[in-house]
Amino acid sequence: MRIGIPHMGNLYIPVKALFERLNIDYVIPPVNSQRTLSLGVKHSPEGLCIPFKLTLGNLIEAAELGADTLLMAGGYGICRLGYYAKIQEQIIRDLGYNCEMVQLGVSEQKLFGLLKVIKRLSNYAPWSRIISAFRFGLAKLNALDKIERVVQKVRPIERIKGKANWLFAKAIKAIDKADDYATLKRVQTDYIDQLNQVTKDNQAQPLIVGITGEFYVVLEPFSNLDVESELGKLGVEVRRMTFISEWTKFSLFLNPLGMNEKDRIHKAALPYLKRDIGGDGWESVGEKVLHAKEYDGLVHLAPFTCMPEITAQNIMPSTKENIPVLTILCDEQIAKAGVLTRLEAFVDLLECRRRKCNNK
Amino acid sequence: MIRIGIPRALLYYQYYPMWKTFFEELGAEVVVSPPTTQVMLASGSSRVVADTCLPVKVFLGHILALVGKCDYIFVPAIRSVESKVYNCSKFLGLPDLTRAVIPESPPILDIDIDINKGKRNLYQAIYQLGRHLTWYPLRVRRASQAAWQAHLNYHQLMSSRNLTPPQVIERISGTAEAEANSSYLISAQATIAVIGHPYLLYDEHVNHRLIHRLEQAHNRVLTPEMLSTEELQSAIARLVGRAYWTYEEEVVGAGAHYLQSGADGVIGIIAFGCGPDSVMMDVVRQQASRLKATPFMSLTLEEHTAEAGIVTRLEAFLDMIHRRKRSQVKTCV
Repeated sequence: MRIGIPHMGNLYIPVKALFERLNIDYVIPPVNSQRTLSLGVKHSPEGLCIPFKLTLGNLIEAAELGADTLLMAGGYGICRLGYYAKIQEQIIRDLGYNCEMVQLGVSEQKLFGLLKVIKRLSNYAPWSRIISAFRFGLAKLNALDKIERVVQKVRPIERIKGKANWLFAKAIKAIDKADDYATLKRVQTDYIDQLNQVTKDNQAQPLIVGITGEFYVVLEPFSNLDVESELGKLGVEVRRMTFISEWTKFSLFLNPLGMNEKDRIHKAALPYLKRDIGGDGWESVGEKVLHAKEYDGLVHLAPFTCMPEITAQNIMPSTKENIPVLTILCDEQIAKAGVLTRLEAFVDLLECRRRKCNNK
Repeated sequence: MIRIGIPRALLYYQYYPMWKTFFEELGAEVVVSPPTTQVMLASGSSRVVADTCLPVKVFLGHILALVGKCDYIFVPAIRSVESKVYNCSKFLGLPDLTRAVIPESPPILDIDIDINKGKRNLYQAIYQLGRHLTWYPLRVRRASQAAWQAHLNYHQLMSSRNLTPPQVIERISGTAEAEANSSYLISAQATIAVIGHPYLLYDEHVNHRLIHRLEQAHNRVLTPEMLSTEELQSAIARLVGRAYWTYEEEVVGAGAHYLQSGADGVIGIIAFGCGPDSVMMDVVRQQASRLKATPFMSLTLEEHTAEAGIVTRLEAFLDMIHRRKRSQVKTCV
């Protein structure tokens, strides 16, 4: 049994660590590329969203490398995503690969469901090993996200543009290589130190732009043409609430105990959107309302034809808490020049707005 | 008398008799928006972002047509009518969306229907809806029982007499005595099944009178409502195992059924940008290409759809089916 997984940001690093510790045979498909996208688009029904097309591309590439068991998120939720594993399995079978699809219904079954799937994949390894491997994976995930938060702060004010991204890429590699807690810890502090020592423009007061929207396109830089780095280059500090580590922390560990980090966001959205509409639509509206005072603007990322985000996009302009929102729809037609022009115009607008506020 | 507006769009075709009975039992007057026109569609589209799907744009056009003609507008948020089967997010966000994009609309009566939360929750939701009209819980109870009976009658009429929802609604409201679809059966050249959501199949403006055109070309038309619930559910079970979407029977169930039996050709109708349909219609398309028994065509509707385009595709499809039938007859002889 050889397992293949789709990509989403840097998620493959903790997953790899988990599989290695459990001696599971796996392949990590090449990172998202134009080929992945073309493969996905070619074999997908046309009306589906970019997360479907990219993950399908990943899974096909994994099957090409000999994977026979494919992991994909799924389960009964209220967005189309729950249906994807089923269709993708059919498409991959029709292409002639004999693969089994394993659905991870994380949203319904929480931690225990996930661990049970891992147990099955690891050929029924003892629970102690599974839990220790899972913990190590989580440690890597946390380290990655901690470094990324620092990178987000450094990007807009670094003197030499691109230094933070370069360090981040190196850090990702180092974290990938680390195979015990001590090394991991050392790598983490080491890179955070290096990032803090990058020469910066300390007088600068960068604009603050929040990033919100659909989970996958927010976390997968390939699908949003790396909006965060581009905003960093324009001297804008990016803030986002969506991190994989946050999500795992809450949805796997704390939500079952009745703690929900999203309650605050949902409460903020209540006057405008009273109910969960599936996907991340409720959160998008809530984040706009909640952060209107702290942020200068909001970049709202959504896949083309995403049902919850379109509803959110329609509701957003009606909120009393008024900050500029730029919605970027991500699909296979998205082009760098188009996005850059829009981002530049958006940043100009925000600067203008801030100057006006300061004058008052 | 309190006037309650019901837009003639989206779930109207599924639930209108039920809603009408409920509100009328509680002493309200029900106002329905007129059939869709180009002006309504354009006014609806102007309120939302371009990517919003066609049915929602039509729906908002109907709301705008009701502004000023009623005291309340009824917009339910139907999340789930079956255990663990959920509806499209656009239906869930409908009341909030309407409030956000049409601020001038009369107060919106919304009700959250979610079977997964249990019966008690459902009854409470119904009572809260009734509270706008009466304080007596028993009256609400009687009204909801009458409404449920009306709903059952409605579906029974459709499946037993092969009537379409607009025909039954006309019958119930007594505006016209609709004839059962039998006049053209004798001369029918072929049987064409049209599958899709009722708000696409029966909105004549949106689909350019597709059903009418098929009938005029001497074809017998079958729609998902003409199948019984058991037939639909067993077709779904054969094809995908378990339904994922709330209105999956209309597409996957009916598609799977008609592809195997009862029709010479199947036409699937979807709206551009529809999330669930993009998945469901593809399941039907794959099944059609696997079976290779019944020709299948999918038509995507959007606000730019030109009539000529639809007519051309329809004619080509019908020609193909008629030719196919003739050659089958020849080989049999």
